[in-house]
Amino acid sequence: MSQSLKPYLTAVRHSLNVALCLENFSSQIVERHNYPEVENKKTTEVLLNPMMISRNENERVLIEPSINSVRVSIKIKQSDEIESILVDKFTRFLTKRAENFLILRRTPIPDYDISFLLTNYHNEVMMKNKLIDFIIEFMEDVDKEISEMKLFLNSRARFVAEAYLSVFD
Amino acid sequence: MLQLQPQNLLVEEAISQAFAPDYTPVFLDRIITDFDFTTYHLSTPESKTKLLLSISIKCWNDLVNYGVKELLNSKYSKYPFIQQTQPEYGYDYSLYIDVEQATFSNEDEKQQLIAELSLLKRNCFAAPFLQAFQRYEVLSKEQPVDPNNLYGEDSPNNSNEQVLQLHYRDMESIYIKPSNDRVTVIFSTIFQDDTDKIFSKVFLQEFSDARKRSIQKAPQVINSHQEIPLEIKHLEAANTHNKTYITFVLFPRHLSTEDVKWNSITHIQLFRSYFHYHIKIVKCYLHQRMRFRVNSFTKILNRARRDVDDEEHRSERKTASGRRFEMRA
Repeated sequence: MSQSLKPYLTAVRHSLNVALCLENFSSQIVERHNYPEVENKKTTEVLLNPMMISRNENERVLIEPSINSVRVSIKIKQSDEIESILVDKFTRFLTKRAENFLILRRTPIPDYDISFLLTNYHNEVMMKNKLIDFIIEFMEDVDKEISEMKLFLNSRARFVAEAYLSVFD
Repeated sequence: MLQLQPQNLLVEEAISQAFAPDYTPVFLDRIITDFDFTTYHLSTPESKTKLLLSISIKCWNDLVNYGVKELLNSKYSKYPFIQQTQPEYGYDYSLYIDVEQATFSNEDEKQQLIAELSLLKRNCFAAPFLQAFQRYEVLSKEQPVDPNNLYGEDSPNNSNEQVLQLHYRDMESIYIKPSNDRVTVIFSTIFQDDTDKIFSKVFLQEFSDARKRSIQKAPQVINSHQEIPLEIKHLEAANTHNKTYITFVLFPRHLSTEDVKWNSITHIQLFRSYFHYHIKIVKCYLHQRMRFRVNSFTKILNRARRDVDDEEHRSERKTASGRRFEMRA
């Protein structure tokens, strides 16, 4: 793990821990409704200050807490064309399977690659520390996976090129 | 399957069956497709022992200009039981094979004929390459390579040498330019998908680097994603369709003997198919990998779930003195 990754992940972990103090909260606008308040943003008094933690200019996390839900959006590192394609394909692949990931949002919020929506319901059926572990592990693994895929692409290209050219002569 | 096979497997199988000693003649009518909009038609129009093998190629008119008919004639006319008939309707070239008349002095000869027939597409595409190679031989005699030409500059006489063109797909072409010390083959290709285009850059970079790194014998590969290479600048007005150009420089070592020449032709005419095929393979592999990764993420998330076990629940609920809480049914 590189020097700057550990403090970054630690900061995210603590901020999430703080943000995930959720309780049931019925809508004050529509009777008998119960929205994730961070999504409709109609009741401003229950929204808390969003927190942005950035490691560098192209890697950051935005945590938007509210009384009954927290939205976590991640911007994954994309240093070149290939990485951005791989990130795009990967996040698309994940969001298409959002029903398996209870907490995954189907569309990321603008400027971010992937968003999670944690509600008080999720906090009830899942353990809070494990949920945070999942998000941290996800952030670590995604970076690793993207760079592995990129390496694979390069080595495969080299192998294919050599296989083709070695047949000549 | 790393390399693509130059022969057509289905044609090869059908013909080797027909020449097998225990062959029971059957009625055949098969349409077989190959790369680059090539179609074979294998049929028995008159009797079950006479095979009609027809081929249609998109750029047949270009090939005719470069002497494909003479080449095919020299390949197939030595077999008395094969007639080069009038092309079947809708096809460009037809061979009529009388299986009953076929006689071979030994097994090798038979295998060779089967190979030649299944390589019909390669043989057609070979015509312009062979013509360019002949022209190269003439040029190299007229004007021997100058040993002082260290930078491999093209000599001035070559710049108005005719460029052979093959429009073998809708928007994509092959250009072949002979010169006194090399033959340049340029492919233009289009990517339907933007992702493919970016992947292709990685691949082409490796093609260019492979020669510097390990395989010195290979032809030189130069690629350009936007600019039209100088050799064909006068033929292509503007790069309107976002084409990628790949240039292969075949050196005299690739054109030295008859076998080497045919080897070069066989591989180079499959380049586009090979290239696109491997890009698709990589995408497929990455997809599989993502599928696997998503599964492992689901597992991690499921670990976070609280297991609401009744037994555990009960053991947790105790009174202050440590006695269990029993629920009345």
